[in-house]
Amino acid sequence: MTFTISRRTFLAAAALAPVTTRLAMAADGPLRIGYSMCLTGLFAQAAPSQVNAYELWKDQVNAAGGLDIGGGQRRPVEFVSYDDQSNPANAVRIYEKLITQDKVDLLAAPWSTPIHLAIAPVLAKHKFPMVGNTAASVKLREVKPGYIWFPTAVIPDKVGEELAAFMAKQNVKTAAVFANVLPLAQEIKTTLLPALEKNGIKLVANEDFPPDIKDMTTLISGANQSSPDAFIVLSYPSDTFLFATQAKQLNVKAPFVLSLIGPTIQAYQQAFGTGANNIVTVGHWSPNQSKWPKAKPFFDAYLAKYKEAPDALDSVLSFMSLEILQQAVATAGLDKEKLRETIASATFDTINGPVKFDGVQNTTTPTSFLQIQDGSLELVWPEQIKTKDFRPKTGW
Amino acid sequence: MFQQLLFAAVVSGALYALVALGLNLVYGSLRLLNIAHGDLVMIGAYTAFWSFTLLGISPVVSLATTTVLCAAFGFLVYVVLLKRQLGSPALAQRLEANSLIIFYGLSVILQNGASLAFSATSRGYQFLDGVHMFGGVSATGSMLLLLGVAAAITLGALAFLRFHVAGWSLLAVIERKDAAAVVGVNVERVQMISICAGFAIAGIAGVLVSMTQQITPFMGFPFTIAAFVVVIMGGLGNIAAGIAAGFVLGFIETFGVALTSATYRSILIYGIFVGVLLLRPQGLFGKAVQAR
Repeated sequence: MTFTISRRTFLAAAALAPVTTRLAMAADGPLRIGYSMCLTGLFAQAAPSQVNAYELWKDQVNAAGGLDIGGGQRRPVEFVSYDDQSNPANAVRIYEKLITQDKVDLLAAPWSTPIHLAIAPVLAKHKFPMVGNTAASVKLREVKPGYIWFPTAVIPDKVGEELAAFMAKQNVKTAAVFANVLPLAQEIKTTLLPALEKNGIKLVANEDFPPDIKDMTTLISGANQSSPDAFIVLSYPSDTFLFATQAKQLNVKAPFVLSLIGPTIQAYQQAFGTGANNIVTVGHWSPNQSKWPKAKPFFDAYLAKYKEAPDALDSVLSFMSLEILQQAVATAGLDKEKLRETIASATFDTINGPVKFDGVQNTTTPTSFLQIQDGSLELVWPEQIKTKDFRPKTGW
Repeated sequence: MFQQLLFAAVVSGALYALVALGLNLVYGSLRLLNIAHGDLVMIGAYTAFWSFTLLGISPVVSLATTTVLCAAFGFLVYVVLLKRQLGSPALAQRLEANSLIIFYGLSVILQNGASLAFSATSRGYQFLDGVHMFGGVSATGSMLLLLGVAAAITLGALAFLRFHVAGWSLLAVIERKDAAAVVGVNVERVQMISICAGFAIAGIAGVLVSMTQQITPFMGFPFTIAAFVVVIMGGLGNIAAGIAAGFVLGFIETFGVALTSATYRSILIYGIFVGVLLLRPQGLFGKAVQAR
C-alpha cells in the first residue's frame, strides 16, 4: 500500500508543522503568570520587596515539580512582566495586553492602591480573576466584587479605630498626630481622631505635612512642649526616616511612637539601630507567630535567598496572594469562572494564617500592629495574635 | 525653640547652598542645564553607603573618594558628550537647549543603572548619629559634619573666586566667554574643571545626606528641583548669589512653616520662587540688564 502526497498537501503540512508543534509545546510548556510592576518611576523603590516575593514563590513551586493545576497535573511556572513606570494608565494597557495578546494563564498583582484600582475594570471586563496584594484604602470596598480580592488587613478606618483602642490599653492620655497629606495617612487620620476622643485621649498637636517635607523641627519641637504620651506619625518611608532622625535629635520622650510606613523596611533598622527599638508600625504578620506554621519558613527562605528580611507588609502580602492563587488553582484548575468561585468562597492557608474573603476583603486576618523589639518584628496588638507584649519606648 | 529653628534653617540652607553650587558652576561656565545633578547626589550617597557597609570605610573618607569619582565622571561626560559640541560655535549655540535632553538621558541611565546594580531597595546606615547640645540647641554629629563641610566648600569657593587668578578666569568665563578667550583665558580648560568640580560637589552632598536619609536610586530628583529653585532665585550662573539663595530657601522653609503650617511648605517655596521670577527675573541678587 502506498500513500501519495500531492505537492500542495506537502506544502500545507509543512507550513502547519511549526504551528502544531508550538501548540503541543504550549500545552505541556510552562504556565505563564503575567503582571506589571513599577520598576521605574515614583514607586520604584517598592518593587523589589514584591518582585522578590514573587520570585521566591516561583522557585519553591518549580522546585516542587510545578504548579498543581488539578487532576494530578503540574506545570512549571514562568512570569511575563512589564514595567508600568508607576503609571496606572500604563498598567491598564499592560493588563489588557497580558490578557488579550500574551494570553497568560494567570495574573499576579501590580504595586500600589491606585494601580490596583485602575486595573480592576480590566479584570471585570475580561472576567479574569486576580488576587491583589499591596493595596490599602477604604476605596477598595467601592470596587465591584467579582474578579479582584484584597488580602490586606490594613484598611484605614479599621486601623484608626484599632490604633486608638491599642493606645488606650497602653494608658496613653495625650497624643500628637502628624499626617502626610497622601491618601492612606489621611484616611487613617479621619477615623483615628474621633476614635482618640472616644477613648479619652487628648490631642495636643494635629498637623499635616507634605510628602516632600525636609525638616520637622517645627512639628516635633512644638509637640514636645506638651510632652505627649504618644507621637503618631502617619508617614511614608522618606518622612519616616526624617522623623526618626529628628526625634532623636530633639529628644522625643513619648513612650508610644508610631510611624506608618517604613519601619518594616530593613534599611530603617540599619539606619537607626537601637534607635528603632520599640517603634510601633502597621502590619499584620510576624515570623514569630507560631500559630502560622508557614510564617517562619517563609522568613528563613527569603533571608537565605536575598540576604535580607522580607518587608512585613509588601513581601508578605505578595507571597500570600500567590499562595491563595496556588491553592485555588489546585482546586479549580485554570478555568476562570471556577477559579473565581473558589477564590471567593474557600479558606486559604497562608504564611499569615487562614484567609477568607467576604466580597473583595479579607475578613479573617485582624487589623494589627507591629513593634520592633531588639531587631525583631513582633505583633503587639490585638491580644489574640500578639507574639509579644507592648514595650514603652525609652530612648533613641 | 527659636534657636533650634535657626539651627534647622542654617542646616537646610547649607545643604541647599552646597547642592546648588555644583549646579551653578556647570550652568555658569558651560551654559548647560544639568537635570542629572541630583543623580550625582545619589551616586555620592551610594558610594558612602557601600564603602561603609562593605569595606568599613568611614563616610568622612568617602568624601574624598566621592570627590575623585564624581569629578572623573564629570571629566568623562565632558570628553564624551560635550567637548565636540562646545568646540563648534554652531553646535554650542544649540547646546543649552539640547543639554536638557542630554542630561535627562543621563539621569534616566544613572537612576536605572543604579536600580539594576543595587536594586531599588532602600538603604541606610548609622554614622555620627550621636546628639550634641550647645547653647540650647541639639544637633546630631552628621548635621554638624554637614555644616562644616558645606561651610568649607562654599566659603572656599567664594574665596577662590575672589582671590585666586583661576577664580577670576572662571568668573570671566561665566560673565563673557568670548571676551575671556580674547584676554587669554583657556576657556576649554575652565569649562572642563567646572564640570568636574560641579559633579564632585554634588557627590559630596550625597555623602552628607546619606547619613540621615534613606538611599534609593531615585532619591536625586528632589535635589535637582531644589538646586534649580535656588540657582534661579539667586540668578543663573551667579555663584555667590546662589549660595546666599540657598540660605534664603532654608530660612523660608523653616520659619515659613513655623509661622504657618507644614502643609504650606511647597506653596511658600514655589510661591516665592514664582514671585522672584516675576519681580526680579535676574534673580534676588542679580543685576538688571537694560535693553538698549
